Amino acid sequence: MTHTTDNAWQHPEVQLAGGGYVVAYVVGLALMGLALWLVRGHVGSPLDLGIAMAAIAAVAAIVQCVLLLHMNISETQIWHTVALVLFIPLFILALGLSSWMFHGLYRRTMMMTVPHAAAAPTQAAKTGG
Amino acid sequence: MLVHIDGPWSPLLGRLALSEIPYTNPILVGTFIFASLLAVVLVGLVSYLGLWRTLWRDWLTSVDHKKIGIMYILIGLVMLFRGFIDAVMMRTQQALAVGPHSPGYLNSLHGYLTPYHFGQIYTAHGTIMILFAATPLLVGIMNILVPLQIGARDMAYPYLNAVSLWLTAAGAALVMASLFVGNFAHAGWFGIVPVMELPYSPGVGVDYWMWAFQLSSIGTTLGGINLLATIVKMRAPGMTWGRLPIFTWASLSANLISLTTFPVLSVTLALLALDRYVGTHFYTAGLGGNLMLYNDLFWIWGHPEVYFVILPAFGMISEIIPTFSEKPLFGYLGMVLASLGIAGVSWGVWLHHFFTMAAAPAVNAFFSITTMAVGIPTGVKVFNWAFTMFRGRLRFELPMMWAVAALFFLLVGGLTGMMNAFATNDYMVHNSVFVVAHFHMMLLLIVYAIFGGVNYWFPKVFGFRLEQRFGKWFFWLFTAGTATVFIPMFALGFMGMTRRLDYVPFPQWGPFLDAEVVGIAIYVLSAVFLVAQLYVSFRDRAANRAGLDAWETSRSLEWMTHSPVPFYNFAVTPQVHARDERAWRVEHGVDGLRPERYEDIHMPRNTAVPLWLGALSFGLAFGLVWRIWWLVEVCSAAILALIVIRSFDHDTDYTIPAKDVERMERAIRDVPSGRRVSGDLPDGVPALREGL
Repeated sequence: MTHTTDNAWQHPEVQLAGGGYVVAYVVGLALMGLALWLVRGHVGSPLDLGIAMAAIAAVAAIVQCVLLLHMNISETQIWHTVALVLFIPLFILALGLSSWMFHGLYRRTMMMTVPHAAAAPTQAAKTGG
Repeated sequence: MLVHIDGPWSPLLGRLALSEIPYTNPILVGTFIFASLLAVVLVGLVSYLGLWRTLWRDWLTSVDHKKIGIMYILIGLVMLFRGFIDAVMMRTQQALAVGPHSPGYLNSLHGYLTPYHFGQIYTAHGTIMILFAATPLLVGIMNILVPLQIGARDMAYPYLNAVSLWLTAAGAALVMASLFVGNFAHAGWFGIVPVMELPYSPGVGVDYWMWAFQLSSIGTTLGGINLLATIVKMRAPGMTWGRLPIFTWASLSANLISLTTFPVLSVTLALLALDRYVGTHFYTAGLGGNLMLYNDLFWIWGHPEVYFVILPAFGMISEIIPTFSEKPLFGYLGMVLASLGIAGVSWGVWLHHFFTMAAAPAVNAFFSITTMAVGIPTGVKVFNWAFTMFRGRLRFELPMMWAVAALFFLLVGGLTGMMNAFATNDYMVHNSVFVVAHFHMMLLLIVYAIFGGVNYWFPKVFGFRLEQRFGKWFFWLFTAGTATVFIPMFALGFMGMTRRLDYVPFPQWGPFLDAEVVGIAIYVLSAVFLVAQLYVSFRDRAANRAGLDAWETSRSLEWMTHSPVPFYNFAVTPQVHARDERAWRVEHGVDGLRPERYEDIHMPRNTAVPLWLGALSFGLAFGLVWRIWWLVEVCSAAILALIVIRSFDHDTDYTIPAKDVERMERAIRDVPSGRRVSGDLPDGVPALREGL
């Protein structure tokens, strides 16, 4: 254990932070509220909403990295920022491969919109007969 | 906003009512009586021996990484026993319920368990064995060993470490509570979608499963952060990355996985909670939801979790084999890269858990290839172990027996894993007991490594070696039980038997299921020998006293301090000169040196806050399960208040003056079986000198 001070206000990262934490909190709440409002109001098509959600999430992530984690390219913080490279393979693997899977999946399983509507009366006629 | 629940609900008790207590089920009543008697005996014993003060001061409020590790292991052992009883019930039910003429008992048409109960048992078995047995056992071992191997005084965040422990304990307690209050999930340990959604599981079982899972997930994420920070920041001077002991490398890789994937699990379960509590549609069919989203998110965590539990097991094998081959580990760099490689590949294989669920052929092909690629770093490890043993002076003491047997299970589990990795083949064996037998081989590899590790490091933690004669009986009976259960299970898998059958329709499968019951009986017998081994070891602990280096040929840093390890770990922070520091010092004849002077030691102070946080989390989760909103509000408010109050507590550490260190060191050295030395220390913790 290294002997550090117990008083949080004396930690350099806290002293340098200024009002960043409060701003990050308010901006985070505002972005979440915006996302919730967009989804609840069904503003736009599903695709547009998906893109809007992704964009809002990206802004929220950047806000957190900059204002909460204080990532920048100064000499003291550069290694924390460089550690974000881990994010690239994880992002590609988790989101990229999932999207690829769902893309193929939808072509195979989500065909009910047009054919289903046409097929429904025949189905009813069959059971009726 | 809250989703409507059918059935009675009251503001005071939520959905809880007397009818939810299963007092008409003789099995559960018997279990309850057994558990109550055990509790009475334990409470009586602690009172009789006057241990309440010790229990509170030295264990429940401790932030000592070794004691937290031991408590993790105790939770793991209790839950291992519970999960094993579930296994016994599944084996006996399947053997009894064969064919239409098989008799039924206890209101069951066939066998003695209704499908409703059988579903809960296999769900509980999986959940418990993965999350509340294997994970706590391994996290406990990492907790004890990592700071010792890198020459640290404690974890980077001792307080957070205790919080992780008590969150895991709260999760385990919630699973246990579901036995006697309400019921458990019947939707499989991984949540069969959409069965775990509210319309199909309107009871509290899935809620129990979900919140217990969630608590353990948060605890493990925090523990992962802690271990990573410890390894990166707390190494002794001279301990460069190239000198890091191999088990610590394995822990580093494992916790990279836990840090990056357990949050996914938390989110997955949180979305399920939203579905079940406020009526969102993340995982429903239609209304914008998607069933496959759950499978995808769950296994993004679920497969890396498998490597999270297997990497520390590999690490333990890598420590045991060189010691008992009397040679340094062959291919250190290859071993390190293989561990990190397994951690890396683990992020890209999850889809093989649902090859059969309509993914495009190219997607399946990609995941087949990544899955097979896991074999490359694993193969590197196996060859390194083999070359370590090659021309070594092999000693087959108990830890080595467990470690070498683990390699056999790696072979069987790995080869059957390669068979499953082919998507085409997976279409044949998906959901069959072949898959069950395969992953049990891998989990048994972990169990064997854990037993090897426990036998290996027990003298370091408790100061005496485990007895070998009963230990070998336990080893051979456990191995015989494994063979007798799982060889017939592989055969049944080839014959097409599917998983989770509460009734077996084909009488020709009967003899194989009977053989599995014989196997499980051998397992029960082996457990008797385990108890005998522990008892005899404890009784003869004076004769089995271990020195610094219990096995004479150990190599890494943890063998340079006393056995049992004093609460401050090392009297003087060691200077590291070589990869195998202990072996290096023996070779250069400097292993017996005593420090010229001692320095003050800075230690974290005990705190009861983590224990309260665990208890309040249990209350919060219990309130959520039964929808007792006042309990949820009270517990949430109390948790927040406690965290805020604790942040104003500046008295979180203390210093042991150098002269006290010197006095304790002299007492330990000069009176090997001596009295407790730390009784008069300010807030001192007895150094486990008396064994227990």
